[in-house]
Amino acid sequence: MDNSKGKKRQREIEIETEQGSDTAQPFSLEENLMFTDTLVALRIMRAQFPHMDKVSIQPFILQSQLYSSVKDRTQVDRELESLRRQKVLRIFKLNTGQDDHAIMFLDDYLNQIECVVKRMEEKEQGDLQVFEWFRTHVVYSKLEPSIEHQELCSLLSVGGEVKDRQISLLINAGLLTRQLIDSNMYWFAIPNIGSILKGISQGRKELLSLLNRRKYKEMMLALLEKKHLRLSLLDMRFHIRDLIGSGHLKTIQTPTGLVIQVSKD
Amino acid sequence: MWKEIEAREAGKMRTNSFTNRIKSHRVSTLHLSNHKDIVSPHRASINSLQVDLTEGRYLLSAAADASAAVFDVQRATDYEGNGNIIAKHKSIFAIDKQHEQGHKYAISSAIWYPIDTGLFITGSYDHYIKVWDTNTTQVVMNFKMPGKVYRVAMSSLSTSHMLIAAGTEDVQVRLCDIASGAFAHTLSGHRDGIMSVEWSTSSEWVLMTGGCDGAIRFWDIRRAGCFRVLDQSQTQLGRRPPVLERSVTNKVLMSKSLSASHNLSVKPRALQKKSANGNSMKQTPVGRIPAKGSAKQRLHPGMLSCHDRATAHYGAVTGLKVTEDGMYLLSAGSDSRIRLWDVESGCNTLVNFETVRLQTTKAIQLATTQDSALVFVPCMTTVKAFDVWTGRTSLSFRSHYECVNCCWFSSQDQDLYTGGNDRQILVWSPSRLVSDELGDRFVQDTDNWSD
Repeated sequence: MDNSKGKKRQREIEIETEQGSDTAQPFSLEENLMFTDTLVALRIMRAQFPHMDKVSIQPFILQSQLYSSVKDRTQVDRELESLRRQKVLRIFKLNTGQDDHAIMFLDDYLNQIECVVKRMEEKEQGDLQVFEWFRTHVVYSKLEPSIEHQELCSLLSVGGEVKDRQISLLINAGLLTRQLIDSNMYWFAIPNIGSILKGISQGRKELLSLLNRRKYKEMMLALLEKKHLRLSLLDMRFHIRDLIGSGHLKTIQTPTGLVIQVSKD
Repeated sequence: MWKEIEAREAGKMRTNSFTNRIKSHRVSTLHLSNHKDIVSPHRASINSLQVDLTEGRYLLSAAADASAAVFDVQRATDYEGNGNIIAKHKSIFAIDKQHEQGHKYAISSAIWYPIDTGLFITGSYDHYIKVWDTNTTQVVMNFKMPGKVYRVAMSSLSTSHMLIAAGTEDVQVRLCDIASGAFAHTLSGHRDGIMSVEWSTSSEWVLMTGGCDGAIRFWDIRRAGCFRVLDQSQTQLGRRPPVLERSVTNKVLMSKSLSASHNLSVKPRALQKKSANGNSMKQTPVGRIPAKGSAKQRLHPGMLSCHDRATAHYGAVTGLKVTEDGMYLLSAGSDSRIRLWDVESGCNTLVNFETVRLQTTKAIQLATTQDSALVFVPCMTTVKAFDVWTGRTSLSFRSHYECVNCCWFSSQDQDLYTGGNDRQILVWSPSRLVSDELGDRFVQDTDNWSD
């Protein structure tokens, strides 16, 4: 039943987002919890990404949020894989947890790189050619979340001669991070995401402790989504979807609506 | 049930499908056994369980207090309960620290000799692998390893070798030969300890190892170096299509750039076309010198794989299981993910198993049903049965008080044995019809009238 309500709501939401209002809060999470298709889920969650004043960042979606929104996880994995190969989106590995991945549409990612480059130009931090090479040669050819040092150099050198300090520029801008286990490999990263990652892990802890403190470790979803999280810049809906998808919370259907409970496993 | 028997008699249903249907029906009714109980003599967590492969009668268990015990699971030692319906199985014998040749520290893995139950092999944290004679419970052979032994394995298919593959905290996999009592050779390539070792069920020469560095390597023990390293980013969507539908030309792509050209790997470009000639493509001709940074060493072509740093999991690989048809490999990692790999193409099939948390510090033992439809995975304090191709949780077994380490599925009578940190070995059996229970045992007809 939730699915049919979800479809109806989806059409309404799509009309609304086309009209430009993407920060509409009256959509209750309860009615929009499940979607039929990965791409639809991605688009809607992108539209529902919370608007933040302090940090300018393009919308991204966590993989655990997708798992909570589409029933069949294997289907999600496979559709993500084919979308990734079609270069519609990119997947980034985050350092907030064991298996956290962030999904961002390719256009949003390129916009984000643009913002960062502009900011670096204002501060006049030197030769910014490398960003152009990165954008044209690396982003389109290397679709995996990680890249080896040698390969990075060879892809960048298609644009021009690569020096070590240029790679440091890329790392400083936040586009690449070194892997902890292997110093020769880099993870692709979303620039300017640092404070948000901190917000994600703290928000998760806060939400779990909020529910754990209650007597029966559960709360009605309608009440829960109206609360505000102190420590995280992202909204409650974002965190609820994320925790349901990673298995820390589970939903129970009751006659009065959905109830969110901390899962015991 | 009777209809099915009738169909089988009339020839409308084939024997195989009849047995498979009955077996899968029984598996779907698995629950904590109310007629079978194993009395465990262990006083510490149980690390490994195995029922012997020849008769399916003797269960070998190994625990962290350096003890190992053997139980007869088909014949109970005594009966208990009202009407003698609960069969208690005590151990036939147990070896522990008091044994003069016994291990000193925890036994991490104990396996039967695959040919018969006359020998069994134990590997322990005291750096020794001991081969025991079952009938006399004496140690026949001793192998000293350079580090704690995490897993030992022997090939059940082998007709020409008797090698024990040992995964230890040392980076090399060692092969010990029972026939000669010496080490045969070592396999290098992993960059950290090796937690799981499995022999292939389709070839007696192929060994699969999973390391703490997150890599899964396939070794052909007749050659040097590994011939495949599983990479989680090499994916295929589901099963490979049968051979006739695939395109005839093999699409081989250089996935890594020039400097890493000595590591050719096959990456499927089109979603439906898979080519899997990894073997011949892995090694470059001998004369080529790989130019990697400043180290210009001349490497043996078999050893080129040590530069391949592909990982199968984001953490350590804690469990491996090959399906009985030898086509698929299941791996569990400390990143709490379980992955299904296609052995022939080496690709991740992207099946998502709904696991929340898996044990990260110890190795876990996975089990599969004979037709590879379900995989049993110890997930913290429960054992979950997942459907192999959709990843959904099909059954959940919750009875242990603490983390479960190992499980074994006996396909003969569809029983599941699980052992955990709470020192218990629990038996899960399919539900029985009432008439079976009182079947062949003499039941005292006792009335409860007071006079």
